[in-house]
Amino acid sequence: MTTGIKNTLMEILDGSPKHTASRYVEWIITFVVLVNCSAVILDSVPEIHAEFKDFFHELEFWSVMFFTVEYIARVWSLGAKYSRDNGGSWKGRFEYMFSPFGLVDFFATMPHYLHMFFPTLDLRILRVLRLLRILKLSKYNTALQDLFHAIHSERQAFGSAVFLLTIATIVSASLMHFAEGHHQPEFFGTIPHSIYWSIVTITSGYGNVEPLTKAGEAIALITGFLGVCMAAIMTGIVASAFSNQVARKKAAFEAQLREVFKDGNMSDEEKETLQRLQAHYRLSDEQVEAMMLRAKNKSSAQE
Amino acid sequence: MTRAMTTEASTPTSLQRIKRRTFEIMEGEVPDKYSQFVEIFIALLVVANVIGIILESVPEIHEAFMAEFHAFDMFSVAVFSIEFVLRVWSYSEKYIHNGGSAWDGRKEYVFSFYGIIDFVSTVPFYLQLIFPGADLRVLRMFRLMRIFKLSRYNSAFEDMVAAVKAEKDSFSSAVFLLFISCLLFSSLIYIIEGHEQPEVFPSIPAAMHWFVITIVSGWGNVDPVTFLGSLLVILTQILSIALAAILTGVVATAYTAQVERRQALYEMEVRNVLSDGVVTAEEQTQLKVMQAKLGMSDEQVEAIKHQMEEEKQIAEANKQAK
Repeated sequence: MTTGIKNTLMEILDGSPKHTASRYVEWIITFVVLVNCSAVILDSVPEIHAEFKDFFHELEFWSVMFFTVEYIARVWSLGAKYSRDNGGSWKGRFEYMFSPFGLVDFFATMPHYLHMFFPTLDLRILRVLRLLRILKLSKYNTALQDLFHAIHSERQAFGSAVFLLTIATIVSASLMHFAEGHHQPEFFGTIPHSIYWSIVTITSGYGNVEPLTKAGEAIALITGFLGVCMAAIMTGIVASAFSNQVARKKAAFEAQLREVFKDGNMSDEEKETLQRLQAHYRLSDEQVEAMMLRAKNKSSAQE
Repeated sequence: MTRAMTTEASTPTSLQRIKRRTFEIMEGEVPDKYSQFVEIFIALLVVANVIGIILESVPEIHEAFMAEFHAFDMFSVAVFSIEFVLRVWSYSEKYIHNGGSAWDGRKEYVFSFYGIIDFVSTVPFYLQLIFPGADLRVLRMFRLMRIFKLSRYNSAFEDMVAAVKAEKDSFSSAVFLLFISCLLFSSLIYIIEGHEQPEVFPSIPAAMHWFVITIVSGWGNVDPVTFLGSLLVILTQILSIALAAILTGVVATAYTAQVERRQALYEMEVRNVLSDGVVTAEEQTQLKVMQAKLGMSDEQVEAIKHQMEEEKQIAEANKQAK
């Protein structure tokens, strides 16, 4: 009996499409998170804070209650993820508790209780942790995970771009230190100081400090130009990462299609699998139809 | 000129035919010289209108040519009104051959993007005649909407919308990323630097303003005072490059995917045509129209045809081997 409830609760909280309730749960959590973040932002405006202090306090209390219930429900229900022979109920629970989402859920909620026991704690840290609640939303954004996946698959290219950026920053910062260190010691007196200047120049193309010497001017120009190159390199890498991901998805789908057409006909079950895959890979209907025609033609040509 | 076209055939029994012809000319469905003429005329008028609105906002020019501008506006409103009425009247033909009622096509047009644009960019002029007290600046803004009439003749705008729509997940995730980082970074800078620079970061909304400027331009006009603040500023600036790169990447992918989608569409059409083994003249024009609609180059079409033929040969060779 409890296992049944546990299982259903797990599926609902996990956002499985089997239950309509899972969508409502998603909406409610999203709503509470958004209200919370707006409250933290508004609370920082002194005038609003003076007027609605009690309301914000009340809101915070009830949100913490809500998130605590959510956290406990998740931990409890995830006990049903693995059967007894497969690691027992605590395997699924620990898996969740130490996953990025679990940690976010924990740190977005629990510090409030800490504050209850230790009232002298720095309030600013508490406020930062409250804002972590916005990260709870990323659980529901699969495209975001796609994006990180695309970037992850191109991590080598990104690594080399970051390496280039580091070298460019350090070289231009040290050159600037030698060229301008005596003239503007407050900005270029140490290399870490000029590193700040060179990152600002590379990213925005506009330095916060005007160089005074001819050599400094030349270095500033080259640094600004390097910034444009860096932006181009980064853009190129991300664009190719995206199109590679699309190509990979299409290849996977096509392989599946060929598998389906191997025996010549398409059963309902196979059709369903393909539809699920299509939704998962976010392919358009036209693309799929064209691929299907191609696969059909190929299989008929082989006969 | 459009009116002259419709009065050409005068017998009332051929009203249906006139309507059909007007629809074809207005919609540009069958590319002939009349519809092209209408297209160019309206496009030129729109461009002249927009230039007029821009010039009119310069006080000296406005005073010198007040009467001319007014006459020109009257003329444009007359032409656009005739265009709108003709479109509403003739679009009843759109679905009549597919079994739809006369009002299906009209309703679709009136509530479509272009229908609303045609209406909104013309009708306020009449409103002004009825209620002379209306604010002229609002009226001018509505007049500027005429520029959207041009996008009917150019698929660039539609292409963009379609590309964005197809990649809406990636776009939304990029926006989401921006949203999350905006919240986190502006709160962090408020917490770290709020005490040191209360005039720049008095509240989180003020810090959000700083964040948006930094993301857009790469430099938020504020130098951090604390070490943690410097780190945060540097991180924000790097994030600004990354976000620009992600958005560019998404757009680039969206466009590439769209080209592929079109090729797939065209390929399907060619396969359909070739499926019975013969290509009739009608099918040939159909393919031509489709090629023009999808904006595909002759080389692309040639490549697709070549691929089809190769496939056919392989299939035949296999048959003979059997």
